[in-house]
Amino acid sequence: EETGDDEGYEYSKGDFMEHACRYCGVQNPACVVRCNVPSCRKWFCNSRGNTSGSHIVNHLVRAKHKEVCLHKDSPLGETILECYNCGCRNVFILGFISAKTESVVVLLCREPCLNLNSLKDMNWDLSQWCPLIDDRCFLQWLVKVPSETEQLRARQISAQQINKVEELWKTNPDATLEDLEKPGVDDEPQPVAIKYEDAYQYQNVFAPLIKLEADYDKMMKESQSKDNLTIRWDIGLNKKRVAYFVFPKEDNELRLVPGDELRLRYSGDPAHPAWQSVGHVIKLTAQEEVALELRASQGVPVDLNHGFSVDFVWKSTSFDRMQGAMKNFAVDETSVSGYIYHHLLGHEVEMQMVRNALPRRFGAPGLPELNASQVFAVKSVLQRPISLIQGPPGTGKTVTSAALVYHMAKQGQGQVLVCAPSNVAVDQLAEKISATGLKVVRLCAKSREAVSSPVEHLTLHYQVRHLDTSEKSELHKLQQLKDEQGELSSSDEKKYKALKRATEREISQSADVICCTCVGAGDPRLANFRFRQVLIDESTQSTEPECLIPLVLGAKQVVLVGDHCQLGPVIMCKKAARAGLAQSLFERLVLLGVKPIRLQVQYRMHPSLSEFPSNNFYEGTLQNGVTINERQSTGIDFPWPVPNRPMFFYVQMGQEEISASGTSYLNRTEAANVEKIVTTFLRSGVVPSQIGVITPYEGQRAYIVNYMSRNGALRQQLYKDIEVASVDSFQGREKDYIILSCVRSNEHQGIGFLNDPRRLNVALTRARYGIVILGNPKVLSKQPLWNGLLTHYKEHECLVEGPLNNLKQSMVQFQKPKKMYN
Amino acid sequence: NDEIHVRQKVMLVDPEEEAEFDREFRALMQESLESRKLELRARPTLNMMIPMNVFEGSTRDHHGRVSEGESGDEAIDYESGGRKEVRVKVLVKRGSKQQTKHMLIPSDSSLVQSTKQQEAAELEE
Ligand SMILES: [Zn+2]
Ligand SMILES: [Zn+2]
Ligand SMILES: [Zn+2]
Repeated sequence: EETGDDEGYEYSKGDFMEHACRYCGVQNPACVVRCNVPSCRKWFCNSRGNTSGSHIVNHLVRAKHKEVCLHKDSPLGETILECYNCGCRNVFILGFISAKTESVVVLLCREPCLNLNSLKDMNWDLSQWCPLIDDRCFLQWLVKVPSETEQLRARQISAQQINKVEELWKTNPDATLEDLEKPGVDDEPQPVAIKYEDAYQYQNVFAPLIKLEADYDKMMKESQSKDNLTIRWDIGLNKKRVAYFVFPKEDNELRLVPGDELRLRYSGDPAHPAWQSVGHVIKLTAQEEVALELRASQGVPVDLNHGFSVDFVWKSTSFDRMQGAMKNFAVDETSVSGYIYHHLLGHEVEMQMVRNALPRRFGAPGLPELNASQVFAVKSVLQRPISLIQGPPGTGKTVTSAALVYHMAKQGQGQVLVCAPSNVAVDQLAEKISATGLKVVRLCAKSREAVSSPVEHLTLHYQVRHLDTSEKSELHKLQQLKDEQGELSSSDEKKYKALKRATEREISQSADVICCTCVGAGDPRLANFRFRQVLIDESTQSTEPECLIPLVLGAKQVVLVGDHCQLGPVIMCKKAARAGLAQSLFERLVLLGVKPIRLQVQYRMHPSLSEFPSNNFYEGTLQNGVTINERQSTGIDFPWPVPNRPMFFYVQMGQEEISASGTSYLNRTEAANVEKIVTTFLRSGVVPSQIGVITPYEGQRAYIVNYMSRNGALRQQLYKDIEVASVDSFQGREKDYIILSCVRSNEHQGIGFLNDPRRLNVALTRARYGIVILGNPKVLSKQPLWNGLLTHYKEHECLVEGPLNNLKQSMVQFQKPKKMYN
Repeated sequence: NDEIHVRQKVMLVDPEEEAEFDREFRALMQESLESRKLELRARPTLNMMIPMNVFEGSTRDHHGRVSEGESGDEAIDYESGGRKEVRVKVLVKRGSKQQTKHMLIPSDSSLVQSTKQQEAAELEE
């Protein structure tokens, strides 16, 4: 027989009290706290069960959540734990202090409040700061540990189960432990294939993968709430309110991009009502300051600067458009031509030629002359319904694409659609195509209209506003009224929208070429447009369904430009990536036997720098379009070990460390030497904008930025102006001088990110004049490709060690490479 | 017999799990500290005065101890289930308003040790 109050323990029936521990079911109000992260709000108890931390601490650590709220029936009542002085709610740095003479205690944060000098003079005893979380448990007198009986009645949950359910919550916050046992949760999705029976089978494979990625993306973004932000207010040129604030980015989080939607909140105080407004990010400064243009114009608490919170507003638009494109591909026979349809699905189709008259010359007005491989590419592509152009680094794929688009537009098949996954690439291409004299419209997402663009004059929204005809006068008047008043009467608003839509349509229809991102091709403003000819640049960086969006608008001739020897699309959800979502359409077509036309002359790198990438990634076919003389850095006095070879591998033996987030790495020795190299470059006459520091790890990136700004030998601003970025984010870009910090240096573990040959290719091909690589040869040489690189540097006497002003050839022994890389 | 006796399973924490958890825990702690150092450009102003009403109605008795006038309860040393506990006031803020809550904490907590020592010292004077 059991004693007394049993009702409270009937969690086995499945209906929990709301405040029951989500791990074990304990629901004594004195023993539980609620996670205060808005997207979470789950309750956990303070018992350890058979894990090394208490359930609440386990959850906070696994989910990387940091705020909690006490139960209303606890001794302190419903209270969010926060620093008494500054309001910081991060429980990992909170602790109690007591008054020196009274029995009064408060919570205080360890940084900075506990270290405030002025506090020392007050009546508080700072020597006995008592952390809120002690021995991986909340202070037991604040949150009671369930009694032994309570614990015995509770569900016994293992650390593995905790990890699994936390993983599950990332995509399904309402999942229960029972869901772990349900079939399907742990199942891997059906992997991608090379060939598909039909478009329905295609959709059946890709739709679940896109769903997985969308769910993951949603969870990631919605968990990015930040509190206690300080706001600086401003007014934009369009008279809209702009809020500036620092959005501290943590290691494993996504970076904000212009156009992202955020919700700014103020929870209210006796003098101010609670307030919130949604806005779009219009700018990000190098110091990670965000400019948010607010939708609200009235009631903004501009007299306040502190205590704001911000949440990410997730939009499903891009994923919806991918799903929509796959559906169209399946159900609408006119979405693509028969030939394209069968070819994309991998069916055997007889080779078809496009019957078009070829132009006499293949260059285009306003563009540089084309070289032989570029001419060959243009000529071949114009005759084929589907083609792949591979553009290795610096081989002029934008110019080639622009020339191609010029000739396609001149064939009289209607408007040409030009896309790329990223806005930056679309802008570059739009600019080049416009230089040929074609009429270009750059269609931007509505959320990005306030984001500044180098091709603003080509954007549709700009052209609508600046259309110089008499018909627009009505629209113009209404626009002015709207700008001044912020809104229109409902009848005027209706009229304004209709006029705007008609004008947009008119301008778009008169263009030769429409440029937008792949996702942008699904914009409702293009719904009634048909494009027979489509070119997609950077196509190896987009997923298949993303690529499909511009294709299903009637494509008969498709050109995919990219380089499958560089990095592919970023897939956040590991399950979807494992199933093959990271493989681009370009790559699958290569597997199906379509031979890419390769551009072969590179105009970026000093010939010494292109040698290794050419031999190892492009079968030695990369030719140099620049001479050694053209890449001689005149007037720069830098200690290259071999004067006419501006490259060296700087041997580093410092240990790697796990970064603060626990998900990334850093290497202090390498960071310190990066600073020395940067300083030497600057002293020798190189300016900051010529230097790029790249590293595969976000942890190291952040550490280098911080280290240089604190320890740089020269003026601080010089270091702030130097771009420090991840290898991945540097794809598609170049700098005169590149410093690559490899980071990984350990006895037994692998080299992680560096293992991907495509990442090494990208890292090695960013520099125009010179490259310095910092790394540990003992560790890196285990991998065959790195072993090859090290041998290459050693053979050219460019493997060195010692101080920068006295570099000596290194005699370090390489390890035997483990296995051949595929 | 009303009581039930269930033998407690011997708790076995997987050392590998423990090490991994500990690593993540420390990483989160370190990251929290470092991000605070970075994000706070201006140090916050001090706002830590103990509001007068906390002492209202409480008087110092001749031993230098604080006692509450209303209930007459002594501020320290409750006996609860064999464990000595101390009653403390916890100050919290609701928006900009201060509130006082009462709580019992173990008297051997380092948090109240110094108060007691101080009081002891005062007593000796
Ligand atoms: Zn949580
Ligand atoms: Zn629990
Ligand atoms: Zn504080």
